[in-house]
Amino acid sequence: MVILFAIGLYVVLTKQNLVKKIIGLNIMETAVFGLIVTSGMVTGGSPPLLGQGLEPPYASPIAHALVLTGIVVALSVTALALVLIIRVKAECGSIELDELLEPDE
Amino acid sequence: MRNALALVVVIVLAVLMMAGVSQLPPPGSPDGAVHRHVAAHYIDGGKEAAGAPNLVTAVLLNYRALDTYGEVVVIFAALIAVLAVGLAGHSRGPQRQPEELPVSPVVDLVVRLMAPFIALFALFMILEGHVLPGGGFQGGVVLGALMILLGLVLGPRRLRRMLPTPALFWTRAVALLAFALAAGAGLALAGWLFALPEQPWLRELIIVGLELAIGIGAALALVGFYLSLEADRHR
Repeated sequence: MVILFAIGLYVVLTKQNLVKKIIGLNIMETAVFGLIVTSGMVTGGSPPLLGQGLEPPYASPIAHALVLTGIVVALSVTALALVLIIRVKAECGSIELDELLEPDE
Repeated sequence: MRNALALVVVIVLAVLMMAGVSQLPPPGSPDGAVHRHVAAHYIDGGKEAAGAPNLVTAVLLNYRALDTYGEVVVIFAALIAVLAVGLAGHSRGPQRQPEELPVSPVVDLVVRLMAPFIALFALFMILEGHVLPGGGFQGGVVLGALMILLGLVLGPRRLRRMLPTPALFWTRAVALLAFALAAGAGLALAGWLFALPEQPWLRELIIVGLELAIGIGAALALVGFYLSLEADRHR
């Protein structure tokens, strides 16, 4: 998980293309969700559903709930970022950071 | 040069994080610190107190309902922001004719055949989310993906015609409004936010209603994202 997070961070820091940066952000978010879910697991445990004939020990429901909320927030951020990238391309003509940061003549 | 510096920074951070993560208790043991205290309290609370046999839904909609409210607000705010960026009004160049990509008849037939089943599955996940794994967001995302798929196959104009615009204004906000109503009703009638009534059947009904509202809100948010991109493409 840490390696995945580090890969995502590297992508965000070094890639010049804005869409690739968003992909790197998604990789970091996936790594964090993976860490939270595995922290709540129980070896040989059952999913936290009562009434289905599953017996304890249950996996922790709080970890799953946290990650659900996180996934929705990640989706919203990605959607908004992609729409903004489209707008940047329409206004400035390019989505590569070096070209965007050049001072206008 | 910048790449090398970034690599060094990332490796240093990764080593620090690995050191931190390795200090955590190894996952998998049933009496680790994460399973005691709050989680054990929720699990022991039982079906009656939680209102839903699916403990994750119970946590999301009963114990931590305020967080779920915040999540609904986030997705709604993202929808508003996407609509506010106003993609439809800006062209990338000379006026382009709206080009409809020809869709292969195989794709067309398969999507049309599968659509009712996908919709049924999405509805099932939303309504049974309090008993089986599933829930409002999962079902809503499947429903939204189905509508986007139909939009890709039938063309965005058909999709827009399927969603009546005056009703869309209020239906998009239905998740937010349902949550605000539930919170307000709880506050007014019982004294604290999101208080659920005592009878188990009423509790379950309200939770299912909230799930349905979340599902519809999430699906329409996804369709809103897609339609704003479509408006730009056809400009």
